[in-house]
Amino acid sequence: MTTRTLEPVAPAPSTVRRRRSGLEKAKARAGWLLLAPALIHSVIFVAVPGVIVLALSFSEFRLLGSPDLVGLDNYVTLFSDSKFVQALINTVIYTLAVVPLAMALAILVALGLNQRIRFRAAYRTLFYLPVVTSTVAVATVWLWIYNPSSGLGNEVLSFLGLSRSGWLTDPGTALSALIAIGVWQGLGTKMIVYLGALQTISPELVEAARLDGASKWQIFWHVTWPGLAPAHFFVIVTSIAGSFQVFDLVYVTTQGGPVGSTNVLTYDIFQNAFGNLKLGYASAETMAMLLLVGVFIYLGRMTQRNREE
Amino acid sequence: MSSIVLDKVSDKSGVRGGREPGARTGRIVLYVLLTLGGFLMIVPFVWMILTSLKSLPELASFSWLPRALHPENYFNALAAAPFAMYFRNSIFVVVGQTLPTLLLSTCAGYALAQLPVQGKKHILNYFIVLLVVPFQILIVPLFLVIRAVPLAGGNDLFGQGGTGWVNTWWALIIPFVVSPLFIFLARQFFVSLPADLADAARVDGLSEIGIFFRIMAPLAKPAFVTIALFNIESAWNGFIWPLVATSSEDLRPLQFGLATFAQSSASGGAVQWPFLMAIATIATLPMILLFVFGQRYFVAGMANAGLKG
Repeated sequence: MTTRTLEPVAPAPSTVRRRRSGLEKAKARAGWLLLAPALIHSVIFVAVPGVIVLALSFSEFRLLGSPDLVGLDNYVTLFSDSKFVQALINTVIYTLAVVPLAMALAILVALGLNQRIRFRAAYRTLFYLPVVTSTVAVATVWLWIYNPSSGLGNEVLSFLGLSRSGWLTDPGTALSALIAIGVWQGLGTKMIVYLGALQTISPELVEAARLDGASKWQIFWHVTWPGLAPAHFFVIVTSIAGSFQVFDLVYVTTQGGPVGSTNVLTYDIFQNAFGNLKLGYASAETMAMLLLVGVFIYLGRMTQRNREE
Repeated sequence: MSSIVLDKVSDKSGVRGGREPGARTGRIVLYVLLTLGGFLMIVPFVWMILTSLKSLPELASFSWLPRALHPENYFNALAAAPFAMYFRNSIFVVVGQTLPTLLLSTCAGYALAQLPVQGKKHILNYFIVLLVVPFQILIVPLFLVIRAVPLAGGNDLFGQGGTGWVNTWWALIIPFVVSPLFIFLARQFFVSLPADLADAARVDGLSEIGIFFRIMAPLAKPAFVTIALFNIESAWNGFIWPLVATSSEDLRPLQFGLATFAQSSASGGAVQWPFLMAIATIATLPMILLFVFGQRYFVAGMANAGLKG
């Protein structure tokens, strides 16, 4: 009796293996089925374009006809193209100003919001709103704020007893005016990430340091600051990549002017590709930009590593 | 600023404010600075709404509040260009991108997290590499890919001879129906779900695909909401791609419509700032509401991406 009832419950080891491997196969099949659309899509719309832009950068292509290979010609031309060089310098200045400024302000705001305060969610919303609103719309608003004759910007300056500014119409101030918008709009994302990191720092650790007689500054530098390290990686990478991609802002406010003072790489690429139909040359500019983003991210990581030691 | 930072650290350690002599003043300074900062963040939006309610002659001299309210600006602005159509187009694009993104990104994320797909480590790394590629890099080659879609827009089987998907709804939607970022986000979520649940369902005879849709997907609601919110925001705010990929007004989304309206009004003498601000308000309001109501998911999604990245 007992053996008979047990038999069906415990089948021979070979059947178990066969059934399990059948199950594993079914799982793998389902996995591929679920993965296939995303894989195929990403190859066509991300990976292949990535290869195309590299190939195009070595060719001349004016959209009609087929591309002609020209070797490194496009890259050589870059160095003597004063518009490209200026766009490069402007982009680097923009990045070097926006990224550290927005990071520093974001850390300060995050430290403030990490206190036991009332209305924390309301404050957080205020600082995050510029992130979720479209750059085109907020750029239009800033265009009006920076209006030299009756904009809010000059009213504030006169209220403070300062002389009025031409803002975006003055080649000397236009890029700085855009940097201010960049900091304003980029602050919120970084603040949220830092706030998340601060909330992972254990209060016990802070209390222990305090009991050991650490001063407030020591606690900040040796407990709080290292606790922000994981957030720095994400913030540095995304904000450098993001500030190199500034386009909507420039397109709406200045179109690269006055006299090229706000021409940035993405705007120059856009103009060369779709205005002048120099797609090969624009691709070479794109590759140069990609290289520069990589170098910047690498350097940004290096400064972080040094500070941690 | 330093005093604020310090007070906050001691607060974190569980010490109630008021124990240290300077703590109370510190808190007041903290509230003042946060309020001031928060005010600076939303001043442009306040100024936008106030301006949208003023008459054009009123702008000649500075004032905060409108002398009389002109809500009719909104109707007149909407009539000044086909904004109702732009608005509808934006909704098409948002829905057309977001629904497939939700399905395809979570399917792929689930497969990478829970199913025994061969080489899934490499596939995950592949998606992470793509995730880092800035979209601006892909503009030129993606345009060429879209233009070379076989048998579309007068193209032959090899994608030559016609315009492919350029200037069609397909161009605005298909390249964005799944994204490496959301696959990664979904994968991070599914990794944290226990495998036992799926095993129990397997014993009950549910198919692998059924397990995903009936057991796992409902558990992943927060991931779905986060992906939906982020995608709605980027689809609604997107500007450079519609600018590159479309030319006909019938397809123009709201941001593109606002940018062209701003430029055409800038070139034609007196700029209709009240109209522009009214449209900017309409363009930003849906995202502000979305954020206020979905704040929890935005914040959690951002913080997670930062800490795990």
